[in-house]
Amino acid sequence: MNEAAGFELHTVVHLIRPWGRPLQNLESMREALAGASAEVLFHHTVQVLYRDRAASEHPADDLSAWVAVVVQDREIAERLSFAVQDLDHTAEEVREALVSVLDALTPEERAARQAPREGALQLLAAESLPLATGVVVHDGEELVAALTGGDPAVWFYHIIEQPWFGAGACPVAEWLEARGEPRLATWLREAAQPTHSLERSRDRLLRRWRQSRLTRRVADASGAPEDERRRAGREAVARLVRRVTRTENPA
Amino acid sequence: MTLVAVREDGPSLLEGYRAVAGEAHLGALAALARRLRGRRLVMVNSTATGGGVAEILHRLVRLLNELGVPTTWEVMPGDAQFYGITKTIHNALHGRPGELSRADRAHFLEVNRQAADALALDGDLILIHDPQPVALATLRRRAGQRWVWRCHIDLSRADREVWEFLEPRVAAHDAAVFSHVTFVPELPIPAYIAPPSIDPLAEKNRELDEGEIDASLAPFGLPQDTPLLVQVSRFDRLKDPVGVVDAFRLTRKRERAHLVLAGGSADDDPEGAEVLAEVNERVAGRKDVSVLLLPPDAHRVINALQRRSTVAVQKSLREGFALTISEALWKRRATVASAVGGIPLQVIHERTGLLVRSVEGCAFQMTRLLRDAMLRRRLGQAGHAHVREHFLHPREARDYLAIFARLADAAK
Repeated sequence: MNEAAGFELHTVVHLIRPWGRPLQNLESMREALAGASAEVLFHHTVQVLYRDRAASEHPADDLSAWVAVVVQDREIAERLSFAVQDLDHTAEEVREALVSVLDALTPEERAARQAPREGALQLLAAESLPLATGVVVHDGEELVAALTGGDPAVWFYHIIEQPWFGAGACPVAEWLEARGEPRLATWLREAAQPTHSLERSRDRLLRRWRQSRLTRRVADASGAPEDERRRAGREAVARLVRRVTRTENPA
Repeated sequence: MTLVAVREDGPSLLEGYRAVAGEAHLGALAALARRLRGRRLVMVNSTATGGGVAEILHRLVRLLNELGVPTTWEVMPGDAQFYGITKTIHNALHGRPGELSRADRAHFLEVNRQAADALALDGDLILIHDPQPVALATLRRRAGQRWVWRCHIDLSRADREVWEFLEPRVAAHDAAVFSHVTFVPELPIPAYIAPPSIDPLAEKNRELDEGEIDASLAPFGLPQDTPLLVQVSRFDRLKDPVGVVDAFRLTRKRERAHLVLAGGSADDDPEGAEVLAEVNERVAGRKDVSVLLLPPDAHRVINALQRRSTVAVQKSLREGFALTISEALWKRRATVASAVGGIPLQVIHERTGLLVRSVEGCAFQMTRLLRDAMLRRRLGQAGHAHVREHFLHPREARDYLAIFARLADAAK
């Protein structure tokens, strides 16, 4: 990666395929998860963040949602939620954590926790197809604009999906660090462990970024001569007036 | 003539989709088009007019060409006997009784053989739609081509013998695509899920102003000042129009409303005529129910009805995908629908609409929506956003291109 040459952004398409037989109870869930591919675990525990990206809160993973709502074992559902809460684990670690929750029950207990006939869960695999967008960013400003302003799949791919499949490695954050923008890199790494929905995470990053720019501008300005600060103040007021006028007369 | 001439004039489809639906999927489509540069795509089906598949292909072929992926559409030739056989196949795949004789099978394969000679099939990527041309993959495959079978039919209750006849032909493709996960049979090739989609620019879905809506609905004498509950669907038992009337009668005990049941003409469908007669009998003497028989091209009337409705209803007993739901949601209508087939993908309960499982449930939710304008607005807006993201043509085009890109990668 050549940081001087910029960083090319990718979007992603997820191709969805059915995987295995529909789950009827916690025993069949345990068997399936023990042999499920990374694409299956990704679809049900991570990709939900993209599917349900406009939710007001952090969306629940499919597995614990099914156990809570359909099988109606809320205790196991809570434990499954906890097992997949952190996204900095490998697929193998996620599988182990999920299976160990189900192993707390005996095979008979798992088989007894049944879904109604029409409530079976068909597992799906999400095959990722990353695609170059042709957009190359050269600094933090351009990166934040591209990640927060356009296609949400670009955010999902770089911030959530790449680190998940790459054992925590986050190429876009590494590029920022190499460019000398460690603070923004840290925020992106934090966003990879979301506590909100994807759209709210994007909004949060944008707010933080704007705030940091404002703070930097104020700090820079404090060292400037008096007349320069006055001129900058007058220009800022003029910009504000223009913005207010535009808002009142949108035509 | 087997090559379909798709209209390429008029305003750009890409710009049209951008204008009504924003950037959703257009970036991915452009990226996929770049990735597939230099490859040609051929669509194959059995008819250029009539039916949902032809409707979608007219748009998709044009859209893909605009994106720079050269795409042609070929229609396989056939005779009356062939179409009789494929009708039997279609019904049997839907779970109705049907049998293919040895002669039927031989004729089906013979017509596919003739089509294999007649069609150019000169693309790198061949997308075969539905069972009629399914045997082409065993007859005309060239080295380096990728073939995909797109099944628009619900196979969950398919007749076993008929499916066993088709399955080896399906398996000769590189992948198959289905509308819903429950429609997927066991196959030795990869199966992908790609729900169908609607065209927001079509006459049935485009924006209408109040004047156009009034003019379209004027002939039917519907009340102006009463909330309308509207179900648009064929007069078919599986659409349960009688159940809708029963739910409406319960609702009317609590709220003022007018029910509209609008569907296609039942002239060529004896069972449809029976169902229509039952509905008319059930609503005899009621002034608060309108039963509208519409011609097949009444797209603008359907659009106007959906836009004028206070609540859209789809109380089906069984469904394929039921794109009428996406049509209503796209128009920001609050929707009450049965939790069957592909409906729960479109109606997420309490978020984009309300799901029901009984006459009483339907009456309860219709009453609730008639009483709560804020709930109607919230569901309608969320439904519109959901359809914009998942059930418009650009998303379906994106899925096809992505599958081909994946297959092309796998071949390297």
